[in-house]
Amino acid sequence: MFSMSGVRKNALALATTCTMILASTPAWAQDKPSTDPNPGALTITGSVDFLNQYMFRGIRQNSTGFATWPAVDLGIAAYSGKGGLKSVGVNFGTWNSLHSGDTGADGPSGKIWYESDFYASLGLGFGGGTSLTTTYTAYTSPNSSYTTVKEIMFKFALDDSSRFGKAAVKPYLIVAQEFDTDVARGQADGGAEAGTYMEIGVAPGYSFSKASLGFPVKVGLSLSNYYENPETGNDEKFGFFSIAGIVTVPIGGTTSFGAWNIHGGVEYQALGDTTKFFNGGESNQVIGSFGIGFSY
Amino acid sequence: MRWSGTAIRWIVACLMMGLLATIAASPARAQSSTDPNPGAVTLTAAIDFTNAYFFRGIPQDDTGVIMWPTGDLGFALFSGKGAVRSIGINVGMWNSLHTGSAGSDGPSGKLWYESDFYTTVGFGLAKGTTAGVTYTAYTSPNGSFNTVKEISFKVAVDDGGALGKFAVKPYMLLAHELDGQADGGAHEGTYLELGVGPGYSRSKFTVTVPIKVGLSLSDYYEGATGDDTFGFLSVAGIAAVPITRAATRFGSWNIHGGVEFLMLGERNEAVFGESSHVIGSIGIGLSY
Repeated sequence: MFSMSGVRKNALALATTCTMILASTPAWAQDKPSTDPNPGALTITGSVDFLNQYMFRGIRQNSTGFATWPAVDLGIAAYSGKGGLKSVGVNFGTWNSLHSGDTGADGPSGKIWYESDFYASLGLGFGGGTSLTTTYTAYTSPNSSYTTVKEIMFKFALDDSSRFGKAAVKPYLIVAQEFDTDVARGQADGGAEAGTYMEIGVAPGYSFSKASLGFPVKVGLSLSNYYENPETGNDEKFGFFSIAGIVTVPIGGTTSFGAWNIHGGVEYQALGDTTKFFNGGESNQVIGSFGIGFSY
Repeated sequence: MRWSGTAIRWIVACLMMGLLATIAASPARAQSSTDPNPGAVTLTAAIDFTNAYFFRGIPQDDTGVIMWPTGDLGFALFSGKGAVRSIGINVGMWNSLHTGSAGSDGPSGKLWYESDFYTTVGFGLAKGTTAGVTYTAYTSPNGSFNTVKEISFKVAVDDGGALGKFAVKPYMLLAHELDGQADGGAHEGTYLELGVGPGYSRSKFTVTVPIKVGLSLSDYYEGATGDDTFGFLSVAGIAAVPITRAATRFGSWNIHGGVEFLMLGERNEAVFGESSHVIGSIGIGLSY
């Protein structure tokens, strides 16, 4: 008989086996780093991550157990050129959060599948390393822990590595708008009004031959009704501040199975008044994570 | 500004049409026979639209529009010339979205009726024979049914090498429910499916005529009078038309559609209210 813990163990064993197969891929497959296994216009990325805590833009999503995040993305490089518009890409993907604790298998629903998000992005690459990406996301909850949140998001990013080299900080700005909402429906904060969210961040990083380090820093703000306080009804501007350190170690280079990696990190979040309320009165949170990633 | 579900569906439809236009308009150099993906990972995906959904003859919904978005990732782990010619692992997801009584117009008000996850280990053997073991979790995000976990074994023979145009490509599928039940009955069931998939290929289209019969070996079609052995008989005609002549750097895309005639056993007839049904479907497929 299969239990869910058994299934998780089997999935973990399968992932471990796949990783071992990839790590032990014959030399002929690993000795051709210049041979791209996938020179076409489609790119597949996937990952499975394990965390002690899931915070969505500073809003706590579970208080017990751990979260597992399987995700997959299909990227389509629709255009590349040398004019003002350097590239056009479309991405489709699904991101999921499986919970063992109070909002999952141990919760009222008894179901592990807390969140399933679907998104479609249109990304435009411009000169000077700038890009503008528009994303539609539907945040759904298969175990009915919350009502579906629909959001349109705009991200402006600058890859300044060609200008600053190792000192590049790769700044970005996100503005996201919730729509199709009602009171306590279709909103990340479960509030009265649809919210508008802004995130400002940087993502400096360093690459070495055997590992890469990333130090993302970001702050999440409410431009309008994104962090409505359930006690006071006030919209709190400051949602959270986050700083993290992430280590990524490639597994076996690029093979005919693509490029795989193991990654892990620690994130510290300082919370605003509303997010502190959602966090059981605690004003900060430390999150540990590790996972397996894949790009093909 | 408020966006309705209809508006979102139109946006997605327009996005899909734009993608297809991009693929169809790919430069000639991109449509050459150069394989865009010579590696060991294969992606297949599709979205289909149909008027009714029967799972192995068990009625699920025949109201509104039903959409089946799917994605499968295949890993070719081994290929050789011995008794075992190939080993592969597939991981995939199959979904059913309903606008009718089992979905957005139903009690839950939610579109997402079914989401299945599966993992398959497949072995290619001599003489076109393949064997595969699949674990599947059938889940219902809108709470229409309890999760069904199943292990299945499939043996198939591609007899095209021996019989050419007259190949029928027979297969046998044996599935056993580990937890949960498709029929909502008292006991986990064991299912047997026998089928053939003869086809005819031309450069501009492919036609297949799959025929299959679904049987209960044990408690798979439990009804008021006990377990019904005969579940269904299905005969279909499916045409697939490639969108481009050769694989492009976006892979190989096709438009496909078909009609299926389904004859139901007593248990499924009692649930559905009719002894047969005709199902139409149309969709877009991708192989990369």
